[in-house]
Amino acid sequence: MSENGPADAWDRLRALPMGTLVELTTADGARWRGAVVPPHEMSGDRVLQLKLPTGYNVGVRVGPTDQVTIVEAAPLNGNGGSTPSKTRPSSATGPWIGLLTTGGTIASRVDYRTGGVRPVREESEILGFYPDLERDGPVRVVPVFDRLSEEIGPPDWEEMARRTVDTFSKGASGVVVAHGTDTLAYTSAALSFLLEDLPGPVVLVGAQRSPDRPSSDGFTNLTAAVTLARHPELAEVVVVMHDGLSDDRFAIHRGTRVRKMHSSRRDAFRSRNGPPIGWIEGSTVHLVHPFRPRSTGSPRYTGPMGTGATILWFHPGLEPSRAEAFVAGARGVVIAGTGLGHVALSHLGWIKSAVARGTTVVMTTQCLEGVADPFVYATGRELARAGVLYAGDMLPETAYVKLLWALGRSDDPHAVAELMKTPKAGETEGRHEAEDHP
Amino acid sequence: MKAGLEVHQQLSTGKLFCDCPAELSETVTRTVERRLRATGGENHAIDAAAAFQASRNLTYIYEATPTSCLVELDEEPPNALDPAALDVALTMALLLGARPLDEVEVMRKIVVDGSNTSGFQRTALVAVDGHVDVDGRSYSIPTICLEEDAARKVGESKDGIRYRLDRLGIPLIEIATGPEISNGAEARAVAEEIGMLLRATGKVRRGIGTIREDVNVSTEGGARVEVKGVQELRKIHQYVDTEVARQVALLAVREKLTARRARVPDDEPADTTHLLRGSATGPLGDAAAHGGVVLGIGLPGFGGLLAPPGESRERLGRELADRARAAGVRGLFHSDEVPSQGIDGEVVSSLRRLLGVPATDDAFVLVGAPKAGTAHRALHEVRTRAREALAGIPSETRDPLPDGRTRYSRPLPGRDRMYPETDVPPVPVDPARLRALRAGLPERPREARARLVERYALSENTALALQRAGEVERFESLAGRGHAAPLVAQLLAKEIPDSGGDDEPFDFPVGLLDQLLASLERGEFAKEGLGRVVAALAAGAATVPDAIGRSGLVTMSRGELEALAEQLVLQNAPMIAAKGPGAFSPLMGDLMREVRGRRDGQEVAEVLRSAVARKLSPGAT
Repeated sequence: MSENGPADAWDRLRALPMGTLVELTTADGARWRGAVVPPHEMSGDRVLQLKLPTGYNVGVRVGPTDQVTIVEAAPLNGNGGSTPSKTRPSSATGPWIGLLTTGGTIASRVDYRTGGVRPVREESEILGFYPDLERDGPVRVVPVFDRLSEEIGPPDWEEMARRTVDTFSKGASGVVVAHGTDTLAYTSAALSFLLEDLPGPVVLVGAQRSPDRPSSDGFTNLTAAVTLARHPELAEVVVVMHDGLSDDRFAIHRGTRVRKMHSSRRDAFRSRNGPPIGWIEGSTVHLVHPFRPRSTGSPRYTGPMGTGATILWFHPGLEPSRAEAFVAGARGVVIAGTGLGHVALSHLGWIKSAVARGTTVVMTTQCLEGVADPFVYATGRELARAGVLYAGDMLPETAYVKLLWALGRSDDPHAVAELMKTPKAGETEGRHEAEDHP
Repeated sequence: MKAGLEVHQQLSTGKLFCDCPAELSETVTRTVERRLRATGGENHAIDAAAAFQASRNLTYIYEATPTSCLVELDEEPPNALDPAALDVALTMALLLGARPLDEVEVMRKIVVDGSNTSGFQRTALVAVDGHVDVDGRSYSIPTICLEEDAARKVGESKDGIRYRLDRLGIPLIEIATGPEISNGAEARAVAEEIGMLLRATGKVRRGIGTIREDVNVSTEGGARVEVKGVQELRKIHQYVDTEVARQVALLAVREKLTARRARVPDDEPADTTHLLRGSATGPLGDAAAHGGVVLGIGLPGFGGLLAPPGESRERLGRELADRARAAGVRGLFHSDEVPSQGIDGEVVSSLRRLLGVPATDDAFVLVGAPKAGTAHRALHEVRTRAREALAGIPSETRDPLPDGRTRYSRPLPGRDRMYPETDVPPVPVDPARLRALRAGLPERPREARARLVERYALSENTALALQRAGEVERFESLAGRGHAAPLVAQLLAKEIPDSGGDDEPFDFPVGLLDQLLASLERGEFAKEGLGRVVAALAAGAATVPDAIGRSGLVTMSRGELEALAEQLVLQNAPMIAAKGPGAFSPLMGDLMREVRGRRDGQEVAEVLRSAVARKLSPGAT
């Protein structure tokens, strides 16, 4: 089947199903034969992507009068390549782990049809990707949603918390939440506040490299997370990710004290203001710092999250009017202040009015390490007198998540302030050792 | 027989996807341990070569250096494709009359042997449909690619393979010829021509390992076999010729196997450990004695064909052993090796009974390993290879060995291992860029040769030898410093390449060559000794005087030379009387043996000629 319709060659080519084998002769006489594949998102105008028989993709600029011959229709389903599939090993019996998938790099693969990332949803596909997961017992996949983590918000935290409770009540001995890494630490903080009386570990895990890459850290991270989820004593919300650049050691971070500190490294996640709770090496879990043990009660969901809180990052030159406009109408604001928790005194006015209106104002440090303390400098003392709550060594993001949680529990600013001051999930500690933490 | 080449040349433009310099380093700043696993590409199909490597389940240790960064560690996304490297690739495309693409798309080629931290090599097709002309023939150049070089393997142990990241990411231009080469000598000539063109760009790295060739060889009735990573251009013809010989020998074995109706049964391997304990020596004895296992399989009809006496050394037994080794055992033992390693007589009979191969036309294969799983895997590979022997010759990738032979490396990768590198935007090749490159194209080798002949009064052959040796630039630099052109050419195109023998010669710094020539010009040694001084420098002499000393080229004074000539003439008076001036030639040979390299040859001739003349002159006694 071959002929040239009246239409522009480019329009004809774009209408073809992906995978169609075509022969294209351009105006300068060059002849190309290959399968039509989706264009790169950054491809130029009228540039056709062809996959040559060698496997290389090439970009060919298509002129209106180029000759197009359809050599072979697109295969119905891929090109017949074998998909790695995995049936559940029969030996996988005994206590099981619930694997909640929420999207993100760890549960995704590159989709060449759209050029984007496609979530992996089916249990068989996930276990096919990660065949080592069931080495020590069964894993049941619980699809929650498919979202890149920058799209995840407080209602999603509630959903994850409820599904976690649900999974435990169905008999899981531990829960792993596979999550995008961008906002993983917000979610880990949220789950830390939203879950009480846990009967086992809730382990959040992600990947900095997608699993279609042979070097993906997802393989080893998820294996380590499942290993920890089988731990018989620990029962709190933690994050498990690479501890360094090697694939042999994984850090266990408390859910409220962890932060993504690098945009791309495998060991991007770091505990702030103290060491991780422990490490995982191979199938060995080393818990070297105090952790929350299993509860004998039933797991409880303590939501919902409130609304109307935000974070304000103070910087030199920030006009008080701009800051005031930004927080207008908010029920609570977490300020990431300079140093020990300061803003220019010119901001005192709007802060006082906000507090007077019942807005909860919380001060943290943008240093991300160390405490916010009002008593060292006069500015801090002024702010504290104005009613700003100093959050100690709580991370700004954790303070924001806790503030939302507190606003969900009470409309009374005094009650909210009490909740903010009361340690709940290891989010603040008074003692800091003189160790060096990278 | 048909052969095609892929020439890979490193560029000196800096790394392809980051801002690191394209330089090796001996400083290791940190090490990182990683594992890789095979993953599906675009079609979710797992490539055979990738699956094979991943099945070895190895740990890889990466050494970071000051010339590598987070990109090489697979810890940061790649930068955009380096425009300077792309310019060189486009320049080559224009020199080879190829058609550049409108838009260059970077692909990921799955490679899980650990040589890339990411598990894939980034590669892009830049141009198609070129050609290169050599000795009056035109060879097609179907593709010109730009890709990143792999990490450098620096060690291997049972714990894993150790790679250094300095080489990872250095740009490589890959130029592939069509399968149109008909013998080893032609292969070498084509590779040399492409090498000269690459060097003409002035943007290539020099030295050992900076240019590597893959040789694809197919024989009639055989299969495509890729010999990967030949570093010495001068050995290309050997690899082509030995590969052809291997395929021919194996095809002959196949005919015999077919005639005998040989077969490869599916029976479970049998445990032979108890039969060998106490009798076998070598690796099998070790395995049997130290808690390991020795497993065996029978191969009916293969007897005598694994290592036929007196035939080519490319035997089927070696093929089986290579596969077994690739699966992680030290090697294998087969029935054509009886008697050896203590396996003889009654033990052989017991083995044949146990393995169900009683006849001498039948073979058996034994593999020893500390763990049964490893031995099973190895025998599985052996069986696969034996089955392939019944069908013909398997398509595979082979590693070149220093002796000109090759060794099994892995299955030949297919198209399933390629998928788009989404982290790198495609690069449009705009016509203005091509116009600019076309306007500034470097001198082609033919033109350069004509210029060398014209400007330096070299012969065409000498100019060509300089180009083949990749020494035009240094030749012009040294000649520009006032050294005599013929002498510089002799040094660069003959003495230095010869000093390496069959291997790549030592990479002399240009400053040292300058000193060497200056020393020669000062008469500290004679031209005839140049080769010996070069060899001494290559062998480690620190300075030119040191090399002269080590070469035994202690200079001789004019007076000493004259005395030596006189003495020679006296000793040979009867011969001179008989032959007259014709006595000069034999005497010159004798004298040169004494003084080569210690005085200039012309001067020696002159001194000897006058001594002979004096002897013959009337009145001489």
